Amino acid sequence: MNTLKLLSAFLKVNIQMSLAYRADTVVNILLNLMWLGWELLSLSIIFNNTDTIGGWGFGELIALLGVFRLVHTLMIALIWPNTEKFNQSIRDGSMDYTLLQPINSMFLVTFSRITVWRAWDLVLAAILIVVGINLSGDTTTLFSILTFILLTISGAIVIYSLWIVLIALTFWFTKFDNNVTILQALLDAGRYPVTVYPVWLQILVTFVIPIAVATTIPLQGLRGDLTLPRVLMFTAIGIASFLIASQVWKRGLKQYSGASS
Amino acid sequence: MLKIFQRLWQVNWAEQWQYRANLIMYLLYWLVSPIIYLAVWTSIAQSKGSVNGLTANDFTTYYMTLLIVDQITSNIVIHTFAYKVQDGSLSGELVRPIHPMLTNALVNNVAFKILTIMGFVPIWTILYFLFKPDFSSVTLIGILIAIPAMILGFLVSFLLSAAITSLAFWTTRVYSIHEFYYALSLLFSGQFVPLTLMPKLIQDIAQYLPFQLLIYFPIQLILGKLSSAQIIQGYLSGLIWLIAAITVFNWVWQNGVKRYSAVGA
Repeated sequence: MNTLKLLSAFLKVNIQMSLAYRADTVVNILLNLMWLGWELLSLSIIFNNTDTIGGWGFGELIALLGVFRLVHTLMIALIWPNTEKFNQSIRDGSMDYTLLQPINSMFLVTFSRITVWRAWDLVLAAILIVVGINLSGDTTTLFSILTFILLTISGAIVIYSLWIVLIALTFWFTKFDNNVTILQALLDAGRYPVTVYPVWLQILVTFVIPIAVATTIPLQGLRGDLTLPRVLMFTAIGIASFLIASQVWKRGLKQYSGASS
Repeated sequence: MLKIFQRLWQVNWAEQWQYRANLIMYLLYWLVSPIIYLAVWTSIAQSKGSVNGLTANDFTTYYMTLLIVDQITSNIVIHTFAYKVQDGSLSGELVRPIHPMLTNALVNNVAFKILTIMGFVPIWTILYFLFKPDFSSVTLIGILIAIPAMILGFLVSFLLSAAITSLAFWTTRVYSIHEFYYALSLLFSGQFVPLTLMPKLIQDIAQYLPFQLLIYFPIQLILGKLSSAQIIQGYLSGLIWLIAAITVFNWVWQNGVKRYSAVGA
């Protein structure tokens, strides 16, 4: 309950902050639309030359673009701004004040900054997913939709957990303020089904920096490509990675010694 | 003058060397999307035999060459300069008797480039063994002809970015403007796909824009795909764009500096 209250307070503060930059928000939304246009154009160029890539058709890639944009929004709206603040707080020692608050520090560090206007990106992503699935002609059942939602959430949790681990490393290596760059750099791999990549790249984006777990795999669930044990396995991976990440965070905190002392 | 450049080089090299770990991370950004496009297009070409006359190897060599050309012709001036206008740290450089953009920022960019290339060579070699491109169409003459084209490409890209960066004298939204410019270059440079696969309209427009000088033209030169008439035409348009870029940059810079008024104490 407390968590929800805090979250709504964070949202309120962030909305107020972004209202100070109204014109910027408009510019950003226009740029965002421009990139959407570019993404659709690049897909149409690809599908002018072929009917399928990695066994997936045009509609399915539109839907994948939607799922990709969900993860991308997570990155832009939550991971970037909070990481920036976190790195700053490690450098100047203001992390001390965060730790003094009587709430879970991991929650505080990861949710205090939210780029609110990005919420509209989620709407766009949902539209892309629905339109894409309709175009593809794949039949969806209630079960496959539920699977998709479950896998999308667990995929997002995997990315969130990886993020926690990456920023927690800063407790050990204070100079490591490029902590999320690797995540951001590999994110683009989520735009296409991992089945088109060479094996080494598939392994990299499925197991090491598991972008695919949050993009390709939920959509495979929606298409009905995954058996029930697989769905359960990926859900379990989501839960396990969160538990591991919170442990790493706790250990990292013990390493923290403040910037000036 | 030479001495000034020498000193600037020492300073900027030392500065960039401090951030060598960051450089590796920057490299990742550069590498990932060409590798993804490479994978996507070779998989399409393999399943269909060829795409619009291009085989899987054509795509592999295209993107492997693109990685090199992009390293050489791209620039980071928006990231290293725009903030100086905004936070006022440009003042110190403006009182020096040398041009902040054409000396310090340029040398800084070149130092950055050489350091990233040092990190890039081993990575490229690994990619070479992973993708096994067949570079038999590449000749020494092709490479020699491409080198001036890449330098020309870098100068044009640097000056145009410098002109856009100088818009920071007018607006704080210079990063958004640059993002738009970057999207244009994605569309018209051949970064996403060899230009011949782009819609006809985009190919036609690309002829009249500078962006293909940065990516497509040098790649085609290296891969030996151009006739001598096309080579001459490409170089001519490169020279015209260089003159245009110098003119535009000078105009923006001179008017911008007049508007400059620093903040803070």
